Amino acid sequence: MKRTVPLILTFLVGLFMVGEYFIPHYRYRIWTAEFLEWGVILAAAAFVLGLINLIQVNLPKVLKRERDWGYKLVMLIALAVTLVAGFTAGEHRDGPSVYKWVYDYTFVPLNATMFALLAFYIASAAFRAFKARNLEAALLLGAAIIVMVARVPAGESLPVIGDYLPRFMNWIMDVPNIAARRAIFIGAALGAVATGLRVILGLERSHLGAD
Amino acid sequence: MNLLILFAALLAPVLAATPATGLSVETPAYSDGLTLSLSWTAPDDAHSLILLRSDQGEAGPWHVAAGPWPGTKAEHQDKVTTDPTKTPPAAHYWYRLVSLDEDTAPPPEADGDDAAAAEQAYVAALLAGQPATAAVQGTPVASWLSASPGYLLLLALIVSVGGLMLWFTDRARKGHEMFIRRMPGIDAIEEGIGRATEMGKPVLYVPGIDELQDIQTIASMLILGQISRKVAEYQSDIVVSCCIPIVREVADEVVGSGYMLAGYPDAYNPKNVRFISSEQFAFTAGTNGIILREKPATHIFLGRFFAESLILAETGYVNRSVQIAGTAEATQLPFFVAACDYTLIGEELFAVSAYLSKDPRLVSSLKASDYVKVFVVVMLVVGTIAASFGSSFFIELFTISG
Amino acid sequence: MLKLLLRFQHMDRRWIFLGMGLSILLPLVFPINFGFKVDERVQALYDSVEALEPGDTVLISADFDPASRPELEPFYRANLEHLFRQDVNVVMVSLWEFAPPLVVPILDEVAARHGKVYGKDYVFLGYKPGKELAIKAIGENIPKTFPTDSKGTPTEELPIMKGFKQAKDFPLLINVSAGFPGTREYVLQIQGQYNLKIASACTAVSAPDYIPFYKAGQLTGLAGGMPGSAQYEKLVYPDGPPDGVRLLASQAINVLNLGHLYIIGLIVLGNIAFFLTRRLED
Repeated sequence: MKRTVPLILTFLVGLFMVGEYFIPHYRYRIWTAEFLEWGVILAAAAFVLGLINLIQVNLPKVLKRERDWGYKLVMLIALAVTLVAGFTAGEHRDGPSVYKWVYDYTFVPLNATMFALLAFYIASAAFRAFKARNLEAALLLGAAIIVMVARVPAGESLPVIGDYLPRFMNWIMDVPNIAARRAIFIGAALGAVATGLRVILGLERSHLGAD
Repeated sequence: MNLLILFAALLAPVLAATPATGLSVETPAYSDGLTLSLSWTAPDDAHSLILLRSDQGEAGPWHVAAGPWPGTKAEHQDKVTTDPTKTPPAAHYWYRLVSLDEDTAPPPEADGDDAAAAEQAYVAALLAGQPATAAVQGTPVASWLSASPGYLLLLALIVSVGGLMLWFTDRARKGHEMFIRRMPGIDAIEEGIGRATEMGKPVLYVPGIDELQDIQTIASMLILGQISRKVAEYQSDIVVSCCIPIVREVADEVVGSGYMLAGYPDAYNPKNVRFISSEQFAFTAGTNGIILREKPATHIFLGRFFAESLILAETGYVNRSVQIAGTAEATQLPFFVAACDYTLIGEELFAVSAYLSKDPRLVSSLKASDYVKVFVVVMLVVGTIAASFGSSFFIELFTISG
Repeated sequence: MLKLLLRFQHMDRRWIFLGMGLSILLPLVFPINFGFKVDERVQALYDSVEALEPGDTVLISADFDPASRPELEPFYRANLEHLFRQDVNVVMVSLWEFAPPLVVPILDEVAARHGKVYGKDYVFLGYKPGKELAIKAIGENIPKTFPTDSKGTPTEELPIMKGFKQAKDFPLLINVSAGFPGTREYVLQIQGQYNLKIASACTAVSAPDYIPFYKAGQLTGLAGGMPGSAQYEKLVYPDGPPDGVRLLASQAINVLNLGHLYIIGLIVLGNIAFFLTRRLED
């Protein structure tokens, strides 16, 4: 019973939602739109559960002074401050408020810093991994260097080859790159269809547990 | 009546423009039943055009359906009702197109109870003072199937995958062996779990950062079911780091089920399935914290990843853990390939669950999508040749729009 | 020598980080400016905006956050300038929860410079959660998806929204996209279904993913990353910026030179060391 009911529900709802793509009738669309709204509401409601989980995992460690409790305390304080600031800022947050202050002076710099780490990590990953170990790797390396040089103004300004580099880069991006991406995309799309059907048809049951 | 006089005074005193000609209304093919296609020949001298609609008859009452547009506009897709739950579509609609000159006032912007009266007065003044086409009738028709070739082909493709899947499953049940090639990346998952057990450290599992409805997240949850079962069998620990709250809830159920299926329901610790943050980089920082502080022996990144992929994988590299990644997100594959020990590319992600389970029914489903892939490749080759010789037949056959 | 090369190959990554930091910092302090050309995809994007008539209304989905701000804000600013200069109206939405505090002040600022009136010439309808579901909803029914604008005015009462119920009512949809949800989801969910004209400005890392959409005609134009933003700025301000306007991407793109060359240098040196040590080890 614990398995059968979810399997039947998955089959019915899955089939109904696949139908949305093929059935344009407005009466059908009213129902699919309703389902989609339920999905949004469910996902939003899960945020409360997420909050509970955060507190359940971190608060006991702070109270018991377990290892790294200081980090968890900082996280819980930040959570509480942002939550209160968000609720008190009201629905329309254009004007100055604690929420806007938190956004401007903590979120913006922290967010930008994390993203900027990519520049450093890509340098170390490229240095470590980009080795011409064989012919294929050498070709890949050559293509990468051409694209990198041609992407910046200095590359375009090089004497003699400066005019050709962007064209060659565009060829690399538009032809071999797109061909490989389309192949990955088509394979992944078919894999996605197969996975979706496995779940809808009830062949895949590993996520459901025992009866 | 006063309003009518006021609007009439606002409208130009002389008829400067001529009416549009050839106004026709058609029901679009495979329509939702709420749309009508209108086309006309624009007059040379109209400054702008406004479309009137009635659901009662050619005598009105008329409402402003759309516009004013520039006088050169010659077609419009009219949505007869924006909210069919409140206002279901009528059986028929009538349209008139009014040509406006430069001095004509725009439709009134009154609110509340006055709005309907103001609109009626405006429309009456328009029809009295400006040239308009005769009323033409249109009938919205709602279809129960988008039967254009593109949609039918897509449907056939999905049905074929499903049909082939059931057929191969049946063959597997009858004892036919199904071959699946060796995939080192997936074999490494089991080795990684073994390594974690030996080292007495947990396995870290990250199911991407997308919502639950994304197919990569769904695939990741299915894989998590298999992996958590193996982790339980090895009597090891698994930490799942989630970016989306509802994904955590499902992961909690899935890991709990995995432990139960392995026969160790008491060994499961729900606090190891954690919601970190729904903000991408806060989640990344939190997960990096787990990597650096709890030092898991094996990191498994399977699902949909974005810019955080390299930050996670590089931090994992510093930790000297075994790293296995898999995503169908092409932009992130190079980062995973550079920083992880094994990377599952695109469709391989969707094969993991079948491969790990070794269930012949699931393995046979991979065969079904392979057959359809062969069909797609043949179509690609034929279509490329046809397009190279100037035939657009294949392009039209696969076009999906409506 | 072998020892030195081996040490170089396995050097502490913090040295690499230091070099990268300097490669970015130095051009900021001592700028060197090179000229650059405009890519065909950026030109196509510019042309699709140029083709709009005064009085037309475009839908902008501003889907970026502080992390992607350096790459996309310059495009976003130049694009608003381009649209308002042509007297095109702007209806803006966002699918990224952290976008509104970033994008709304810029929208107000550029609109004020052109004397545009909120609600009549431009509007911000707000942030909508739901990602792909929200995109589908924008395709279906905008007033239902955004019952009010960000200031609380009912959407159907806004003068600018008269006649605009669905994404397909707009002659052009411009997506300023830092990732997911963004251009790919717009194309997959509603471009084909409603035959929409979509132009995209995206981060450099997403651009290769979206090129197939441009090639297939599903995008009318594409500006990728900082170079795309700089090229668009060049098209919008061919005679340089007016007083009070800074061309952020045109200035920043030259900072990228040294960073790129640094990575190329590292890869080349790493390969030389790899080959020499491999031979010596053999």
